[in-house]
Amino acid sequence: MPRFRQHIGLYLMFVPVIVYFLIFLYFPLVRGFTISLQEFRMIGDRPFVGLEQYKAVLGDPFFWQALKNTLWIGAGQLAFGFAASLLAALSLGEVLNPLFKKFNQMVLYIPHLFSWVIVGGIWIVLLSPDGGMVNELLKLAGVEQPVHFLAEERYARWIMIGTSVWKEMGYTCIIYLAAMTLINPSLYEAARLDGAGRLKQLWYVTLPQLVPTMKTVFVLQLLGVLRMFDQLIVMRNPAIYREVDVLMTYVYEQGIQQFQMDIASAASFLIIAATLVLTLIFSRVSRYDLS
Amino acid sequence: MSSIRRSTGLSLLVAAAITLSACGNNNAGSANNTASGSPSQGNTPAQTAAATQEPAKQTLRILSGVAGGKTPEENEQFEQEIERLTGIEIEIEKPAADYSKKLMAALAGGEKYDLVYMGKTEMDQLVEQGVLTRLNDMIDASAVLSDPEVIEPSEWDLVKYGDGDIYSILNKKEGGTLPTVRQDWMDKLKLEEPKTLDEFYTVLKAFKEQDPDGNGKDDTYGLSTSGLYDIQGFMSAAGVKYRYVIDADGKRSIPYSTEAAVPVYEWFAKLYKEGILDPNFATNDTAKMRELFLTDRVGMVTYWDAWVGLFNNMRQTEDPDTAFVAKGITGAAAPDGSFMLRRGDPSVWGIPVNAEHPETAIAFMEFWHSEDGNILSTLGIENVDWTKGSDGSYTLTETGEEHGMDHGAPFPSSTKFVNPVGTLPGAAEAREIIFSNNSTVELSTADWPNAEKIVQNYAFKAMMGDLPAADAVKSMNAELKSAGLID
Repeated sequence: MPRFRQHIGLYLMFVPVIVYFLIFLYFPLVRGFTISLQEFRMIGDRPFVGLEQYKAVLGDPFFWQALKNTLWIGAGQLAFGFAASLLAALSLGEVLNPLFKKFNQMVLYIPHLFSWVIVGGIWIVLLSPDGGMVNELLKLAGVEQPVHFLAEERYARWIMIGTSVWKEMGYTCIIYLAAMTLINPSLYEAARLDGAGRLKQLWYVTLPQLVPTMKTVFVLQLLGVLRMFDQLIVMRNPAIYREVDVLMTYVYEQGIQQFQMDIASAASFLIIAATLVLTLIFSRVSRYDLS
Repeated sequence: MSSIRRSTGLSLLVAAAITLSACGNNNAGSANNTASGSPSQGNTPAQTAAATQEPAKQTLRILSGVAGGKTPEENEQFEQEIERLTGIEIEIEKPAADYSKKLMAALAGGEKYDLVYMGKTEMDQLVEQGVLTRLNDMIDASAVLSDPEVIEPSEWDLVKYGDGDIYSILNKKEGGTLPTVRQDWMDKLKLEEPKTLDEFYTVLKAFKEQDPDGNGKDDTYGLSTSGLYDIQGFMSAAGVKYRYVIDADGKRSIPYSTEAAVPVYEWFAKLYKEGILDPNFATNDTAKMRELFLTDRVGMVTYWDAWVGLFNNMRQTEDPDTAFVAKGITGAAAPDGSFMLRRGDPSVWGIPVNAEHPETAIAFMEFWHSEDGNILSTLGIENVDWTKGSDGSYTLTETGEEHGMDHGAPFPSSTKFVNPVGTLPGAAEAREIIFSNNSTVELSTADWPNAEKIVQNYAFKAMMGDLPAADAVKSMNAELKSAGLID
């Protein structure tokens, strides 16, 4: 108690933060959960229906298709995004010319600055069968019929993965580069004295030192998997809905387009539960909390 | 230290979960607020009147998707013009985009409007949720709105529920969609108006291969659509209609998933394979499709009848010497010579049950369907969009020309109204095609969004040649059945 009194000023400063979170996060969370247990109506009574909306969501084949797509695309984005950014960071780490390094870093980073509306629009144009750059290159390579990449189901998920990796690689790469600057130079010096070449230094010094950062990056990307939305809303179209509809687009369609707020809320809470489970599994497996 | 890290990890988890839920919950939360601030469900005129016992003030708050000015500045002028003409002090909110979402979010958030504009889908949702006032008595009591020459009885039928309950007032007389062709290209290539799928193929192939724009480049397509919106003019050849058909026994079917549609999908596959159909047809939005038509990239699109006039107006406003001529045509005839085109869903005005001035809202609707209202909803604002000569003639200003005689209702419901400036070139003829060729509205149900995804998926596969049309239709039908979306 005396310590509380001693630091009461600090506690008081924290009050607005608590109030903010209570009003803008926890309150809507509780209201949303309440709605997921009701039959939603915009005006009038909202009878409680227990877990009926959850049952409706779990009995909806479109929800399961969306979950399958989410895991497919999410796994691809995690795997390729993780590997590509790490490779890019390691490659840039080997570049000695600082100007060249910064230039490449900037080029890699720029796509991250744009919203998905811009990036999606760019790729829709690039992949267009009507004069799109990719099809023009294919034509030069002898392909006669243009490929409608964004209307073919077989390409749809891969395009979502590829464009996402392309957009976010530079951002994650910078996190790795920042972590690399904190590696103790004496470790490299010791490795060199032991006769390690650049590749072995990379393998035995850089990579192990980056493991905590990798875990952080991975958990952040993992949390994003079930939340992916902007990219899909911009780049999907009726021809590929089935392959690229994800959980968040399912929630959006149910809640905003069909205005079934009860179903959308139930689906949201299922997603929250799934995220918690995923994160707990990763935390347990990677001992993230101990790194 | 370890426990601190552990608790940090847990905090991260909780924060992530909360962040994740933000999207759905903000809506949900705001939606929930409505319950406390709104009257309980019950939307009869008597209850509404009881809730507004004080004399109705002549003020009105409107949420509009189409009615109003074309710019925020002109919107203010529009409000002033209504006040001048009616004495009603009016406030119109006209979102620039995503109207339907704005409408739903605003109503769920407890916003009080006296009138809201909406399409049929939104109307169905709002009626189902008890948000709209039942208007039968108010309409019966109104000499204007109950006049069959102002709003035809058959039009009212489009917005009736159950035993004839009406929750909205029609905004205008909707037209329909039909193939729209570059008549100047037809004339140049000496082509006859097509009536069958084979004849359409001949015309579209010529548009693709005979350099109709004369620029010496192979850069034109015969036909463009925006996904399945709207291939009805061609499905007409098979006599099948989009969305649901429910027979006398209540059995639901989707004709696009039946064998009858196969020849039309095969026809599209041939166009796609030969490069006659715009390869982006599956991913186009309607704006992209319109742009292709207006920029000489494609010879035929399928779109609204009113747009025939707008296409011509746009090009002629831009270049008075243009050869560009858009013309609406009937589409492909079924073997018996009949056509099956699409009539647009009704667009309507509703009065929410929490409206503060429902009587004034009715007064505004009476104005909207009067001569002055018709002039405002078509030509626009006096001395801004048009001027009146001493002889009583109307002349569009430059601004009015640009606005294309559409300020919410380019074709008012009233059969008494004759546009004093005349309609835009080609629009009246296109409209005549819609109303004289068995054009009917499409039947949707709450299940349709899910069914549509399945229909689109297989229809695109068939049209792009990824699957033989017969297989695609078979799979489409089987999947719709197994999902319980057809009987």
